[in-house]
Amino acid sequence: MAGQSSGGAVYFAILGVVTTAFGLADLLVTASGSEFAYGGILEMPGDIFRGGWGGIIVLFAGLFYLSGIRNFDDIHQFAKVVMGSILIWVVAGCDIFAMITESIPSWNEETGPWFNTLPDFIAAYAPPYAPAVLLLPFSLVVIYYVRKRASGEDGGGNSP
Amino acid sequence: MKILLMGHPNVGKSVFFNRLTGANVTESNYPGTTVDYTKGWMKIEGEDVEIVDVPGTFSLDPKDRAEEVAVSMLHESRDAKVIAVIDASKIERGLYLAMEIIEEGYPLVIALNMRDVAEDKNITIDADRLERILGIPVVSTVAIAGEGIKELVSRLKEAKPVNVDDIIANAANASDTESAADAGGAA
Amino acid sequence: MKLNTGERWDLIDRISKETVTFGAYQHTLKDAIGELTVKPMTGIPVAIAVMYGFWSVFGSFAGFFTDGFFVRLFDVYWLPWLQEVFPGQGDWLYAIMVDAGGFESGEFVLSSNCLESFGVLTSGLFVAIGVVLPAIIIFYLMLALLEDIGYMPRLAVLLDTVLHRVGLHGYAIVPTILSLGCNVPGVTATRILETKKQRFIMMTLLAIFIPCGAQIGIMQDVVPGLMGWILLYLIIGYFIFGYILNKIVPGKAPEFLIDVPPYRRPMLSNIGKKVWGRIAGFFKVAIPFVLLGCAIVGVLYQLGVIRFLGDALAPVFVGWFGVPKETAGPLIAAFLRKDLAVAQLSAITMTPYQMITAVVLVSIYFPCVATFAMMLKEGWKELLGALAVLTVVVFTYGGLIHLIGILLGVA
Repeated sequence: MAGQSSGGAVYFAILGVVTTAFGLADLLVTASGSEFAYGGILEMPGDIFRGGWGGIIVLFAGLFYLSGIRNFDDIHQFAKVVMGSILIWVVAGCDIFAMITESIPSWNEETGPWFNTLPDFIAAYAPPYAPAVLLLPFSLVVIYYVRKRASGEDGGGNSP
Repeated sequence: MKILLMGHPNVGKSVFFNRLTGANVTESNYPGTTVDYTKGWMKIEGEDVEIVDVPGTFSLDPKDRAEEVAVSMLHESRDAKVIAVIDASKIERGLYLAMEIIEEGYPLVIALNMRDVAEDKNITIDADRLERILGIPVVSTVAIAGEGIKELVSRLKEAKPVNVDDIIANAANASDTESAADAGGAA
Repeated sequence: MKLNTGERWDLIDRISKETVTFGAYQHTLKDAIGELTVKPMTGIPVAIAVMYGFWSVFGSFAGFFTDGFFVRLFDVYWLPWLQEVFPGQGDWLYAIMVDAGGFESGEFVLSSNCLESFGVLTSGLFVAIGVVLPAIIIFYLMLALLEDIGYMPRLAVLLDTVLHRVGLHGYAIVPTILSLGCNVPGVTATRILETKKQRFIMMTLLAIFIPCGAQIGIMQDVVPGLMGWILLYLIIGYFIFGYILNKIVPGKAPEFLIDVPPYRRPMLSNIGKKVWGRIAGFFKVAIPFVLLGCAIVGVLYQLGVIRFLGDALAPVFVGWFGVPKETAGPLIAAFLRKDLAVAQLSAITMTPYQMITAVVLVSIYFPCVATFAMMLKEGWKELLGALAVLTVVVFTYGGLIHLIGILLGVA
């Protein structure tokens, strides 16, 4: 069990570093007033709302991960890791919700169909993605640890 | 007949109210959602009963407008029965208010609500024993999930005014029998 | 028989000793997360994230319905159709109900969109259904979610220190947030505050500085780029004038202990019921006022009252607030319909800073008639006091914003 937990700590340490870097990079990109894209899958938003405000939250998420990995088994430390993931879910959830709402209407002012065409609708979900969306699948790993902990508690084995 | 739902803020009075009357009073997970009283009707064994969702109050000694509403509501309804809704995880504070209402001579039923939260906190309450000491019905409930509501309604008719002296005597007796039982077990 | 406080606690102590067993208390993950959300070091980042989520979803949802569908429905189909079929183009009833239009080189021309036409059936309906309704639905949905999870009291604890500076306790955040939907329930919610002083300060601040859902919706629609600045000015004003009111209003602002409930999984049925109840309430209160306000503004325009007042007061607006002369009309009409006034302002050419000033002015003007009535119910003395504060605030804060603009070199 100790081995698995330290595995978790290492995993979230790496994720924490990456998340923090993403957050900082997003803030820098926003501050410089430009946009940044990499390899067709990553695109840092450069506007003050998603890039600035959202970037700060991604940065916070990274810091939550990093501050929670020491003593990973302790419930209060583990809660910080969970909170890091929740912050990523908030930002990524908002990004995805925005994608959905933008993909459905045609945004035609005057004429033409009301709804988007199917190819355009699908194209709206193609990469590049914002940092939080890319981090989302990796942040979901925390659910595994929450479940493991819950089953551990039922068995009576709880860390002090 | 008139029934007042009373208790601390955020113990679930509005949840009871909605469950009992089928009304749509706003329920939230924060204290102070109900700042004015709401009335509704339900039928118990064929009789029309008026239910009042009273704003939360910590004691009968009001500290703000919402509490004033609560206390004057109680004093205006001399012939009412009261359901005291108590947060099972903070039972002492709830009993304090319940005791004040008992002392004023109102017939009372206690709903030990949020049993699930108490269980989370590893608090167990012996409701039967509490009932014997207080001499009034005590029902464990999880109102938000609808547990215990039926029992509460069925026992409303058992509500009666009790004398505080009896409660004091019962409490003393209870601890006597307890220690006697302990002594017996040890021997 | 009655006991005194000490005897009562003694008895309860004895009873609970007999009936309650406290097991070993284990911190659950829920508790630990709960603690993280109230400690400032970790709670503030969480609050920032919650607000981001709230705002982002609000913007996406409202934009989806308003810009994605309603603007087109109303501007391309509804308005031209009504302009065509409604009889008596150019006369007063047509102007009030459908389109006041405009005069270009002496000729009557029809408006091209529903924000400029100012008819009850065009602008009024568009604002009520196309703009405000989506904003209100998503606002109350998000709010219900936060309430039922149990986040609100935690936010209150977190903000307690800050709000104490303005003579309120953390719980003031509940009426404040409720007011972002509609000021009427916000005013009702001030009843949880303990003293008259606190209630007066809270009601006044709500009425002046907290824009309601209708206003936010319309601002988001017509001046999205300036929203941040406008809200910033309103929040700063909320604290400055809260601080001043706390100093000058007599009375006490006692400490208030907040019970923080456990986090709970929200129940879908409860959220649905609550959102529906609030939207229904909003419809009953707000929609008639939007339409009626629209009609009254239309009549006043037709009678030339607003033009007259606008001309008379133009020097004040230009000299003191630094906004163009043309804004005088909308700023006067704003007393009746803030949302329409914002739309009207957006059609006037001016610098972004002038626009910010004008919209902030519209926001701090007295709230809608519904809120007015609600405050009257709470006491006419309070209402008069709030009116006096309002007048002072409009002039000092409006002037201050102008001054800041001059100092920054943007006004």
